[in-house]
Amino acid sequence: MPLEFARSEPLSLGVELELMVLNTHDYNLVRGAPDLLARLEKMKLPGEVKPEITESMIEVNSSVNASYSTLLGELMEVRDAIVVAAERLNVAVAGGGAHPFHKWKERRIFPQERFQRVSSLYGYLAKQFTVFGQHIHVGVTSGDDAVYLTHQLARYIPHFIALSASSPFAQGEDTSFETSRLHAISSFPLAGQMPPVKSWAEFNRYYDEMAGYGIVASMKDFYWDIRPKPEYGTIEIRICDTPLTVETAAQLAAYAQTLAADLLRNRRTEAIEPLYRVYGYNRFQACRFGFGAALVDPYGHRHVQLRDDLLDTLERLEPCAVELGTAVPLLSVAAMAARETNDSRWLRERLEETRSLTDVVRLQAARWRETMAVPA
Amino acid sequence: MTLEFLPSWPFLLSYPLLFGVLLVAGMIGGEIARGARLPRIIGYVVVGFILAPLAQAMSLNPLIEEARIFIDLALGLVLFDLGRRMDLQWMKRDWTLAASGLAESLLSVAAVFATLMAFDFTAVKAAIAASIAIATSPAVVLLIVQDTKSEGQVTERALNLVALNSLLASILTTILLASAHIESKMAIESALLHPAYLFAGSLALGAAIAGFARLTARAVEKTKDLHFTLIAGMVVAAVGLAIMLKLSVILSLLAFGLFSRNDARSYDLLNVNLAPASRLLYIVLFVITGASLPLEALVVGGVGALALAGARAAGKLFGILVIAPIGGLRMRQALGLGCALLPMSTLALMLQHDVVKVFPEFGSDLIAVFLGALIIMEVVGPLAVQWGLRFAGETEPATESTAAPAQPATNPPSTF
Repeated sequence: MPLEFARSEPLSLGVELELMVLNTHDYNLVRGAPDLLARLEKMKLPGEVKPEITESMIEVNSSVNASYSTLLGELMEVRDAIVVAAERLNVAVAGGGAHPFHKWKERRIFPQERFQRVSSLYGYLAKQFTVFGQHIHVGVTSGDDAVYLTHQLARYIPHFIALSASSPFAQGEDTSFETSRLHAISSFPLAGQMPPVKSWAEFNRYYDEMAGYGIVASMKDFYWDIRPKPEYGTIEIRICDTPLTVETAAQLAAYAQTLAADLLRNRRTEAIEPLYRVYGYNRFQACRFGFGAALVDPYGHRHVQLRDDLLDTLERLEPCAVELGTAVPLLSVAAMAARETNDSRWLRERLEETRSLTDVVRLQAARWRETMAVPA
Repeated sequence: MTLEFLPSWPFLLSYPLLFGVLLVAGMIGGEIARGARLPRIIGYVVVGFILAPLAQAMSLNPLIEEARIFIDLALGLVLFDLGRRMDLQWMKRDWTLAASGLAESLLSVAAVFATLMAFDFTAVKAAIAASIAIATSPAVVLLIVQDTKSEGQVTERALNLVALNSLLASILTTILLASAHIESKMAIESALLHPAYLFAGSLALGAAIAGFARLTARAVEKTKDLHFTLIAGMVVAAVGLAIMLKLSVILSLLAFGLFSRNDARSYDLLNVNLAPASRLLYIVLFVITGASLPLEALVVGGVGALALAGARAAGKLFGILVIAPIGGLRMRQALGLGCALLPMSTLALMLQHDVVKVFPEFGSDLIAVFLGALIIMEVVGPLAVQWGLRFAGETEPATESTAAPAQPATNPPSTF
């Protein structure tokens, strides 16, 4: 049976944010999600707050938003509620792509049937999957558009990696990468990218084949960096680390939305195969070097610095951004790129200052609640 | 010819030998207990019960008396660790936490007091014994939390409430000693001054040590190893200073821990994990505690001991079950929390020793009842904590299956 591609408002926006739950004495991850979620359940919040694979994670799902500004407002509201609930429980919540010093072995799988099943199938990979990402959904009107955008956005994946990078430390060490989180994801058998199908019909034939082999049972089984999400009528960008603030999270969503608008308006016709030939290399460069990455431009046959490529792109997007109301967030994105400041850099600076990863996480949690209207 | 280089008979027994024997014997006892799915602590204490008559037969008893220094050091570490986990900010944010602590303390002190009055003890004696009984054993709770890798709301709240009731028990006992002094016709000045000195002096010592530790921490590199050495050294020194200044070891070390966490929001001192090193001292602590509890007190104390232990448990459970759910704890969690506050062990024993030192009239009849209750709780307490934390769902799951799952290929998991 072919996958039905649900209709959604074109260019509507939604995000998912996975967050850390921490204790407040040494700021290690703590088994706090069940109590925190029980508390949040009693509150009326837009979207949803859900459990994730281990008991030290929660996931915020926004509702569907028409614009950047409503999305930001909603994320702030949910952030505030989470912080207040967490303080009553004496746990802290923070953004960031990976906890700097937790030991994966100490994590506990959330006691829910599907998580237990994942754990028994994937063994230690499941506990190592205690990493924290942001997923961005952008609404499209058809499956064909979803396939087209999924391919075209692949070229911009390195931008999202550099902008969102917030996991320089893992298991107590500086990894020398801007993001270490993506390594935890690459280990899964269905990680990677969508095959070079050209249309929704062709995608359906591919999907049926995979389902016929018994490899997948639903779209959720593909852990791709970008994938169509037919149930929601969106494309989903899954490459970002969870940023340290909801403001950055909303800015990343605004960038994705504006890029999608531009790519739909100015349709690209180049062959997609070259994109995927350089994809893995560019992805690695961005993970390792961030804004300083040397990206391969498969069509121009040259190297460009990620920072310059990002700034050029933002300049091109300007008219689109003005129409969509994303000019302001894109200015912040441009400032980040121009100064080469991302959350990984901020975290490394805090370590330089405090010489202690516990203090880094403490400050990371403080940063998460920094812009609350009523400081808790 | 005399062979002076040979040891003379009877052999001279020494602390290192004692420490080593207690440690290894305790460890073995702990593993036997674990094999029987009991908390290790019960094994340690039972080894103490067994060693006591043996030690007596070998006229080792004076050595066990002298081993008080091990107890003080171990208790010092426990109380410092606990003070560090106590979070006054949290109690401010969630009033039900402090309220549930006050409720369980007040109800247990009232219940024990009423019970002892019913057994015809004088009001002052009953009040002192009741105030000591407020204290939950911090060492038992900390060790079981470590052994079961317990994590979550019940665990965190239990540790905070143990710190709170240890503090309340020490303060109340100190204050009541004043009335005991008056009853024993001591000069009114020293009757009032002594508790005041104990209280203010211990707090000041704790604060001073915390301040010194922070200053030193700032001067050295911020590594876990260095800070561990620093904290261990300061804890031992604080115990020594408290003994030298005739202050309360319990209050001083609790204050040291409390101030080193809650002081001025500065984060100079790393929160190092003391568990692996302090385990050595804890084992010896429980073996010695077991060895210094006269089992005949169970017979002499009899019904009174049982009544005291029962009244105390009822007060604590009721206090928690009434207040904790208001703070959003589920009934299952509240019951687990109540159970985690039941152990009574070395801290109570030390408080009782301190009382007898300054108030010899405390009386052997009450001591028998008190120690009888202590012996009961030495076994029931660890079981209650282990059960409570497990019931609340906070202990580490037994073993997660690592074997290949029976997973049909056609039905892969759908997540993320």
